[in-house]
Amino acid sequence: MKEKVYGGGLVQSIAAAILKAGLVDEVLAFVTGLDGRDIIPAFITSEDEAQRITTASYNPCSLAKLLHKYGDQHKKIGVVVRSCDARAIIELAKRHQINLDNIYMIGRECYGVANINEDVSGALHIFFDRIEVDGKEQKWEEKMLRPNCLRCEYPIPTMADVSVSIDNNSVKAFTEKGKQILAAANIAESEGATDDLTAVKERASKYQERDFGELTKMEPEERLNYWLSQFDKCIKCYGCRDACPICYCKDCTLEPEHMLVKGAQLPPEKVFHLTRLIHVAPGCVNCGQCEAACPAGIPISKLYHQLYKELSSIFRYESGFDVNVPPPLDTITDEELTLGGVTID
Amino acid sequence: MMRAERETKAGFEPKILGFLCNWCSYAGADLAGVSRIQYAPNVRVIRTMCSARVNPIFILKALTSGIDGVLVLGCHPGECHYMKGNYYTRRRVTAVKHLLKNIGLEPERVRLEWVSASEGKRFADTVDEFTKTIKGLGPNPLRVTK
Repeated sequence: MKEKVYGGGLVQSIAAAILKAGLVDEVLAFVTGLDGRDIIPAFITSEDEAQRITTASYNPCSLAKLLHKYGDQHKKIGVVVRSCDARAIIELAKRHQINLDNIYMIGRECYGVANINEDVSGALHIFFDRIEVDGKEQKWEEKMLRPNCLRCEYPIPTMADVSVSIDNNSVKAFTEKGKQILAAANIAESEGATDDLTAVKERASKYQERDFGELTKMEPEERLNYWLSQFDKCIKCYGCRDACPICYCKDCTLEPEHMLVKGAQLPPEKVFHLTRLIHVAPGCVNCGQCEAACPAGIPISKLYHQLYKELSSIFRYESGFDVNVPPPLDTITDEELTLGGVTID
Repeated sequence: MMRAERETKAGFEPKILGFLCNWCSYAGADLAGVSRIQYAPNVRVIRTMCSARVNPIFILKALTSGIDGVLVLGCHPGECHYMKGNYYTRRRVTAVKHLLKNIGLEPERVRLEWVSASEGKRFADTVDEFTKTIKGLGPNPLRVTK
């Protein structure tokens, strides 16, 4: 069955055009698998293959992670990104893991990706107020989305080079590279007012209040018991670490030879979770890959996103927007040099 | 649980881990010693070359291993031997405190203080006061449940 094309096929035609124009050597994107149902990540090198790029609302793995792991740093690579992927790529770039000069980010609008725990047969597309399965419209239900997507405030990847709308056929360029991409694809930038994101932000803050609120309402002891019981479910598969785009270290301190956590012990020591938390949370992009990867069903993204939100307001740091702003724990501001106390918040 | 029951809040002697900067606080502790200032014996000291050497993981590892409180002592702002180390420490300790609060541990179990080489009295007072705070908080719940 032919999949319905969303966004006027703009994502596909831009990818094909920049491959043809030689602007990039390959494009990393999710494509429809050979059985027409699977969603698999692939490096595309030919224009014809670009038609296989899918706009369905699945995000089985982080493209930023794949780009870092498998991308050839000497090649120019285009990536079809959601805002969380784009933010993760920028976070990796500021940690000197990816050369942003060689990356062309084709942003696509995204209002959430499918929760794999919900059984859906067919290509699923999630929009702000409706869901389409194989082109048939359905009611928007929160259980269809990943919990982290409900809390997401960034449906439009303004940090990417171009952003393509999936609902109506509009395109915007945000950077010089973005203009190059649109020139190569011979597509004019859409005129008109900027998108109104008030409703999205309102909904995101509603879900943030709900998810974080139920934790902050608990007594500290209750909260500790809640998280300890969650951590006790852990089978130490390292799935969260392997799925996380911000966890880039080749030599991970959580491996047993570093002697921080014992090798053969289940559930792992609590420091296992806390180490990852302090490493990742200050730059967390709320992509939710950790939670999706967790076979034990620990609501990890809630913990990370909550800490990120708090640290973000203290350090006035938004992860994944400006590549020139260093990670919060690796920098100090001039203002702080004048403070004498032991706290900065 | 036997041990936990015996360690009621009143008769509880906390285990405190102190990370002391080589250039200021460690010398400060030394001064407290040679000046024969009495202070709580609960603190175990690890000397670091700078308070910024204290990786947040060290603090978390200590707490999850059953230490009741972690004291990080560094040079006063502007006096760091390595120019800016203590400013980084301040950010890291802030992050750790918020982490502890979010998982339900008392953020007061971690404390950052500035103690210079000439402040032997201040070192003793800081240790005394921190020991008192931890006694008030009781044993580290991660130790009891272990």
